Amino acid sequence: MLDESDLERYSRQLVLPEWSGEAQERLRDSSAMVIGLGALGSPVAAYLVGAGVGRVGVVDHDDVELSNLPRQPLHFTSDVGSNKAQSAAAKLSLLNPTVLVEPYPARLGRMNAEMMLDGADVVVDCSDSFATRYVVNEACCILGIPLVEAGVLGFDGLTMTIRPGSSACYRCAFPVEPESAPSCAEAGVLGPVAGIVGSIQALEALKLLSGVGEPLLDKIVQVDGRTLAHTIVSTTKLADCPACASVPAATQSG
Amino acid sequence: MSTLDLTGTPCPLNWVKAKLALERMGAGEEIVLLLDPGEPIESVPRSAREDGHDVTVDGTRVTIVKR
Repeated sequence: MLDESDLERYSRQLVLPEWSGEAQERLRDSSAMVIGLGALGSPVAAYLVGAGVGRVGVVDHDDVELSNLPRQPLHFTSDVGSNKAQSAAAKLSLLNPTVLVEPYPARLGRMNAEMMLDGADVVVDCSDSFATRYVVNEACCILGIPLVEAGVLGFDGLTMTIRPGSSACYRCAFPVEPESAPSCAEAGVLGPVAGIVGSIQALEALKLLSGVGEPLLDKIVQVDGRTLAHTIVSTTKLADCPACASVPAATQSG
Repeated sequence: MSTLDLTGTPCPLNWVKAKLALERMGAGEEIVLLLDPGEPIESVPRSAREDGHDVTVDGTRVTIVKR
């Protein structure tokens, strides 16, 4: 049951005709993992914790740098030099003390990805490297966990949602892993572009966890910050995808 | 038939409480809401109608039959 304080805290989402007490309880009983607490992970984690997802794990091995602050609103100037997972968790616990926030100040890689993500109901990949995205995608395919992928560079961003076994996975959409890509440090990024894309990721994760709305499956949304043009392109699950071809289709719908 | 006293409960918390009460009821069941005049009596019946329920307003007393 939701208590009096929950009703007040979540009243603006509970009044939505599409939302319900049951949807709110589904959020409370669910668990999300946010990989990377930078420009995408800051809004994602803040919205998931704010909305009342019961348990939110935040994973980042990096420390806060001064050059992060314009686009990573969970970190403050006094946090420079602190681990990002710890810094984010401190703010998130203040934002919503009813949520169990678990910081993982560790690097997610091929060796530990499955162990770290096991038990999550949704994974939101806010990492800034292609290598990590493929590792997260493969772990989610093996574990059967829905995944929200995204990336931003310069003024451009894209997001896609994956239900392993039933919709196109990240490797289906991008079969060839790029050799290297310009990092944010080289290419630059304008903070609000990451904020827009991270907000789209948070919305997708809340839809997956609550069962409300339609997730962006078999589609990629591209956002151009210069014009705010949104383009949705279709993508298809590949029958011979090395990441997801052997994954049984999820039994749940919606 | 149950009664939910929402006098003193502001918008939108009054509708949140009514909506959750309706969620726990079966179709065709009735609930009476006691609301404050002004914004509450104007908006809560409208929200209930938008959700498809049968709504009867008598002063600040609202009877809702769950769809």
